[in-house]
Amino acid sequence: MKQEALNISNQGEKGLSATKPSKYSEYKRRRKIMLKSQGFITAIILLLAIWSIWGTGFNLLSLFFGTYEILVFIFTDMFPPDLTVIGQLIGPALDTLYMSYVGMVISVVVSLVLGVLAADNLTPHWTIARVSRAVTAFLRSVPAVVWAIILVSGIGLGPLTGTIAIGLSGIGILGKAYAEVLESIDGAQLEGVRATGANWFQVIGQAVWPQFKAGFVSWSLYKLDMNIREAAILGLVGAGGLGYYLQGSINLFQYKEAATAILMIFALILMVEYMTAKIRERII
Amino acid sequence: MIKNKETYRQQKKVQNSIFTFLAFAFFIFSMLQLNIVPERIVRSIERLGYIFGNMFPPVTNEPVSLFTAAIESIQVAILGTILGVIISLFLAVLAAKNLTISPYLGYAIKGFAGFVRAVPALIWALLFIVAVGLGPTPGILALAINSIGMLVKVYGEALEEIDMGIVEALESAGASKVQVILQGVFPSVMKAFTAWSLFRLDVNIRYSAILGVVGAGGIGWELMKAAQMSRYDEALMVTIVIFGMVMSAEVLSEYMKKRANAASAQALN
Repeated sequence: MKQEALNISNQGEKGLSATKPSKYSEYKRRRKIMLKSQGFITAIILLLAIWSIWGTGFNLLSLFFGTYEILVFIFTDMFPPDLTVIGQLIGPALDTLYMSYVGMVISVVVSLVLGVLAADNLTPHWTIARVSRAVTAFLRSVPAVVWAIILVSGIGLGPLTGTIAIGLSGIGILGKAYAEVLESIDGAQLEGVRATGANWFQVIGQAVWPQFKAGFVSWSLYKLDMNIREAAILGLVGAGGLGYYLQGSINLFQYKEAATAILMIFALILMVEYMTAKIRERII
Repeated sequence: MIKNKETYRQQKKVQNSIFTFLAFAFFIFSMLQLNIVPERIVRSIERLGYIFGNMFPPVTNEPVSLFTAAIESIQVAILGTILGVIISLFLAVLAAKNLTISPYLGYAIKGFAGFVRAVPALIWALLFIVAVGLGPTPGILALAINSIGMLVKVYGEALEEIDMGIVEALESAGASKVQVILQGVFPSVMKAFTAWSLFRLDVNIRYSAILGVVGAGGIGWELMKAAQMSRYDEALMVTIVIFGMVMSAEVLSEYMKKRANAASAQALN
């Protein structure tokens, strides 16, 4: 069909006698294809929506009630936030920050190894690359909270658990990102350094690192940004930090304190994003 | 010149080593603050070994309830995404600098989206549970509102980049505001919108898998149950199901994106 369309438009360009009707019919034909595929996609989306509404028992009216209820909840129960508890929140907030940072360092170290093993141009053997990629894919597809739940029941409550959970899920993202950055580096430079008789470490230091550095820094800092968000919610399952405090205050119906905790999470996220942006600017 | 370059390199080197040192010092400091000492690390590695040993082989005692919980998670994600997309479409048009009816309204919507985005989905779920009760409904609403936060931003950015020539041409042909948006604006951002919406569906499936943790329906609750009873083999099974959900969502959204692109390419060339 593509070929046909091409022929017709070529004829049109050559200015054959049948230009006008063929262009118009061509327009109609294309419009029909467009409408057909649009109709198909709309139908699928509608079917999915109906299936989901039926399955979850969702009432469309609850969209309005829900909005109303949450507004009432936020403005009467949570507002104004109880700012007197800020003193108690500084400790958990710092814990959240430390958890994200240590988690990032763990995932950076492990991901560097896995990334080098997974990159096509650096891997010792292609089977190792496959295995390394499978491991990172698995870790990437399982959310950090899932790791945290399993680890909380195994290791116990507290920030150590959260740190390990963050580290594990970080390996999934950074391992893949590092491997991709490594694969995109210029092979000629690698060959050049290798041709001078450099050993493996020299090749990494002189040829790979200079090209890898920018990607490495920005991906790691991006992960730190993500970690703060994750660390803030890991506490909800008992893995330390601000989320733990938030969960506790909601369970005790202290919604004004919970509001302060949410504001604190918000502030922490913004602060870390600002800082990582500054560091990124300076290094790259 | 050469000397300058040399000193510059020297400076850069000193700077880099200071950064590395600070990063390392902060790492040690954080470890100490979190009370992560070698002794605890060794103990937790032992525990990790124990958990890992008890994980295999993965089993499930209630395959049916696990399956329905997984389906429910997917349904929560789909509804959350659809609601989020529909609401974001309206809000993004009002937020985009070049289409808004008043710039102040635009700033207000962008500010709202920024706040909504910064509060994680799980916390929204927690708040909605208090407001509307347990079950999938708070999960759907939480995902919808969190999606709005992201989608308004990316839709708005796509809308601000469109070619205003098309809009002006339609306006001078006498098209109404709604006609301009439907005929001139949406077709040119369709591709970006589809890609972002599918990406969001992907993200929402990840979130919906864990919403059950706080009681908002779906497979997260099954995981919670298994973990609380220290049944690591069951927990691994649930984890594998979650992994399957997320993976298939990724594959499916990739396929849909390709199909949508192929359809528009077929119609255009």
